[in-house]
Amino acid sequence: MVKKKKSVQETGTTLVFAEETVVSAVEEDQTFTSLCTNLAEINKRKGVIGYILRNATSATIDLKDPTKLVEYAMLSSQALDSGKEISELFDLGDIENVIIEGRDIKALCISIGENKVAVFMERDADHADILRRVLP
Amino acid sequence: MNEQVYAFTLKNTLNEIRKVCPGVSNTFIFEEDGKIIAKDENTDEETINRTVGAFNALTERAKTIGGLESATFHDANGQVNINCIEDFYLATITSKEADEKYVNTLSRVLVPTVLKLIDKINPAPIDSATPATLEPEPAGDDDVGKFIGGAEEREEELPVEETDLTKPEPELIEEESDSEVNPEPLLPEPPVNQFIVENLGGLVIPSDAVRVGTAVIVQWKNLYSDKKIEEVDVETLNGKTTRCRFKPIKDSKHEGKGIIQIPQKIQRTLQTTKGELVMVKPVVK
Repeated sequence: MVKKKKSVQETGTTLVFAEETVVSAVEEDQTFTSLCTNLAEINKRKGVIGYILRNATSATIDLKDPTKLVEYAMLSSQALDSGKEISELFDLGDIENVIIEGRDIKALCISIGENKVAVFMERDADHADILRRVLP
Repeated sequence: MNEQVYAFTLKNTLNEIRKVCPGVSNTFIFEEDGKIIAKDENTDEETINRTVGAFNALTERAKTIGGLESATFHDANGQVNINCIEDFYLATITSKEADEKYVNTLSRVLVPTVLKLIDKINPAPIDSATPATLEPEPAGDDDVGKFIGGAEEREEELPVEETDLTKPEPELIEEESDSEVNPEPLLPEPPVNQFIVENLGGLVIPSDAVRVGTAVIVQWKNLYSDKKIEEVDVETLNGKTTRCRFKPIKDSKHEGKGIIQIPQKIQRTLQTTKGELVMVKPVVK
């Protein structure tokens, strides 16, 4: 990374944007790593049945029932998309998180920059506590 | 149930919620198919239709978690909450400053209570006896706004519909002749009573039966004199339901206080506890 920063300084103003991109990518990477650690801990908690963490380049998934992977991934993605659409309609600003309660389980979907997190849990699990633990 | 009554009453309920909670900016009620049942004065139809579209896309995906009961979208400047209440969805949009718990309690209790009250005041026989030909139907979803807006003005017309029943139109006569094929008399819709949960325990207490007030049981028996009522359906505000036997409350000091005594086993099934509200409906056989 340090090498890249040096090359930015040598090549002039047009690459200042590239420098920001590099820094941003590093930050995103740090956020992703930090989220990975938090989610691994959260996944050990009673009532939590798995999580999906993804960004444009990477994904980490840990579900107790792996057969649900595709359905859960589509659900969490749709939750944030629907949330974004609805928040625009009512002029509520950027979507931060979505809590979806089903008859069997519930899901907490969070948007953190480029990172999208979805934690799946039993209905009686404390999603507010889990949210605090995802974003300490 | 007469849709005009629903629309009028629910519209007023939603406006009251907004008055009581200044943080509530918009509220509306819709059905799964997108039909708008009621909306406050602040929300336009186009916004509701687009919200319903986005919500329905999520509902489709939520089959994997047993169907969607509620969704809460937290945004930078506020939140959107959509709750399933019976066959409807109640949407509440609040600002960041709104007291989330207060708004949720109010909307999750008030709207179901109003729905139950409408059912109770305007029971099913009126609805089933009201022929569609006597009631001007809204032309379509596009007219819902006019329909809701006009409900207030048409409120006084409602009793007229009932008097019109004495002069049946040709369509009504046809309906009556059809009903002769099936001589089964129409039963009134079972009344829905709301009670506060009380614990019921003891060694000789059956764990599969709830206890309700004698007056309520008498009311049911009067309503269905020749029918058997041995069980009740108990439903929580979260939509959990169970069917179980019932007995009259033994202790007279609990009589007429709007409570239902429920054994722990049934409380666990319903995921409810002492002090919570449940709806009880007799099962008529």
